[in-house]
Amino acid sequence: METCAIEAAMKPNNREKNRRATVRYDAIVIGSGISGGWAAKELTGKGLKTLVLERGRDVKHVTDYPTANLNPWEFEHRGQVPLAVRAQYGNIRSFMREETLHWTIKPDEQPFVEEQPFTWTRGYHVGGKSLLWARQTQRWSDFDFEGPARDGFAVDWPIRYADIAPWYSYVEKFAGISGNKDGLPHLPDGEFLPPIELNCVETHFQGIIAQKYNDRQLIQGRCAHITDPQPIHIEQGRAQCQHRNLCVRGCPFGGYFSSNSSTLPWAEKTGNMTLRPHSVVHSIIYDEKKGRASGVRVIDANTKEMLEFYANVIFVNGSALNSNQILLNSTSSRFPNGLGNDNGLLGKFVAWHNYRGKISAQFDGFLDKTTDGKNPSNGYIPRFRNLHKQETSGPASRFLRGYAVGVGGGRGMVQNREGMGLALKEQLLNPQLGPWNVSGWMMGETVPIERNHVRLDANLKDKYGIPQLVTSAVWTENDDKMVVDYMEQMTEMFAAAGFINIKALDSHSNPGSDIHEMGGVRMGKDPKTSLLNEWNQLHSVKNVFVTDGACMTSTGTQNPSLTYMALTARAADYAVKQLKKKTL
Amino acid sequence: MERRIALKQIALAAGGLLALPDWANAWTKTSVRSGYVLLDPTQSQVLVEMVDTLIPASDTLGAKALGVPDFVQKMVADCYEAPVQQNLKTGLEAVDAAAKAKFNQSFVRCDAAQRMEVLTQIEISPEASRKEFYSLVKNLTIQGYTTSEYVMTKFLHYNPIPGHFYGCVPAPIAQK
Repeated sequence: METCAIEAAMKPNNREKNRRATVRYDAIVIGSGISGGWAAKELTGKGLKTLVLERGRDVKHVTDYPTANLNPWEFEHRGQVPLAVRAQYGNIRSFMREETLHWTIKPDEQPFVEEQPFTWTRGYHVGGKSLLWARQTQRWSDFDFEGPARDGFAVDWPIRYADIAPWYSYVEKFAGISGNKDGLPHLPDGEFLPPIELNCVETHFQGIIAQKYNDRQLIQGRCAHITDPQPIHIEQGRAQCQHRNLCVRGCPFGGYFSSNSSTLPWAEKTGNMTLRPHSVVHSIIYDEKKGRASGVRVIDANTKEMLEFYANVIFVNGSALNSNQILLNSTSSRFPNGLGNDNGLLGKFVAWHNYRGKISAQFDGFLDKTTDGKNPSNGYIPRFRNLHKQETSGPASRFLRGYAVGVGGGRGMVQNREGMGLALKEQLLNPQLGPWNVSGWMMGETVPIERNHVRLDANLKDKYGIPQLVTSAVWTENDDKMVVDYMEQMTEMFAAAGFINIKALDSHSNPGSDIHEMGGVRMGKDPKTSLLNEWNQLHSVKNVFVTDGACMTSTGTQNPSLTYMALTARAADYAVKQLKKKTL
Repeated sequence: MERRIALKQIALAAGGLLALPDWANAWTKTSVRSGYVLLDPTQSQVLVEMVDTLIPASDTLGAKALGVPDFVQKMVADCYEAPVQQNLKTGLEAVDAAAKAKFNQSFVRCDAAQRMEVLTQIEISPEASRKEFYSLVKNLTIQGYTTSEYVMTKFLHYNPIPGHFYGCVPAPIAQK
């Protein structure tokens, strides 16, 4: 691979231009989160001098996890954020705890216009949301990839399970995924480390479901936790999960996968990575003469200075909606409506996961049993509605697609808080095991529609001078009906398991609350109806790859990060092969 | 070599963090300091003795010795709206007034039995604001006490690094 570092800056004839065009790279990766970290690892590993741009601050593994080892009593307000501090964050509520406040951005960092209520949780620091994710890693199957074509929505995916399966294996081995081999065609097995145990009640529920239903199963959720470190994990400096369940503070053991613990240090070790925090990407530069992207315009968040960086290939991994924003703002004579946006579909068909349905209950058996240690995973019921075909009668016929279900619980310690004085004290020092609690949460597929979209506001700009993003997204009747079905089915299943005090509800949470926003730059076969091809390349700007959530044609029901990782590794492999063949 | 890296990481983890970088200052003492003392000295004294009455010392430390009165005051000063802060002040004054009316001496001079009688009267007061005051102080006292290092490590089997998860094991026999 030819590297042309500092070549541009060395040319003597244009001082001003040279000051701005500091360095030239082989590749630029926009974003350092779960997919950006993979792009960085793959591209640097294949010899490309790679600039990784992160709009937030740096976060070094271990040393920049300030709360990771603090005990409850070391938090001044035991985790609760003081009102005066809270007020600085407007209506942002995610991670609003003393343990995690440093992962939260303030509203003025990136104001956006909610045409309808939309929750947009952002992780603007090195590592992004890979530090904050739920770490559930379920593979997609062809029941997901074939969904749009079978049920007539969005556009057909340009890939199938066979295209991505080897890349799932590739990323799973490196990341470290624990799970059972369950042999389910709709939730394919992967490269698993030993599974985490189900608890007594989950196992009981698993048995009841197996006995009473032939169309559904409860399994242990596959998760990105190292349960038996392999040489590849030890080489990353990562150790076995310690079951602290303090994951969102950052894990000093590297027990779960994050960019910070895994892909970024790996990329760093190649000597090919330049990581540049505080770099807010304004837009991608399009070279009208060459007909390709030539680099990226960056606003230094500290100096507010506009800088330009150049590269042969650009990976866009800014997180789904932010990647949309960057592409929409990348205008040129050739692309007046945003980079690669010949068909006007950029920003459209945004979708997410429907997490509205909740259920909770108790179980009065197993009173002589409990759990020991903490469980970073949970039970998982893969999608069973409309799986093999769209039902034409019965409750599932009322809606398209379906939902997976997370199932968890355990026994809490119950304090008797009655009275005062020595009696109260004695009670508090001797809490008793409470009943088994069990809860379920819905993870529904939403059907992307053109009406649900993001676009740039015509007038409003943020403090960097970047046009603000407008989010325009609503629940549909399909979503509402799916929530009703979830509540009915789960109530029936919970009752069959003998659970008591069953309470099912529709939280009516905002779109985006799931933090699984997807689409806007969807993959497809036809440039007329999609933005990206089967390799995640913009159809009309082949040296730009989008491999974060923005690329998703449909949403499936699985937690999406594993699929972003696999798509990214696959696209990076393809990009480097094309570069070597000089066809990119 | 690889092993050394892993050990270094774990050593760092075990050593904890000595200093916080600038960006983490949103919740440090400097930034959350209220800039004023919520309670006057009399109110503070009543709060101290109220907390002490709720969870007194015995052969083990009580809430007072564990700094819980300061915790209660800090929580109300920093995490609650002005009406709740005001209700804490008037509630503490009402406690003192009730002691004076009933036992002809300030709450802090009452003995333990007298204090409990006064607090019970507040707890079952027909006034909603008094009940709220009592619940607030009691709940924060319980929170501060049960999350103190002393109670968590000596009595509540605090184990920050379990190192395992067993899904179904015999329940420990209840202690008392």
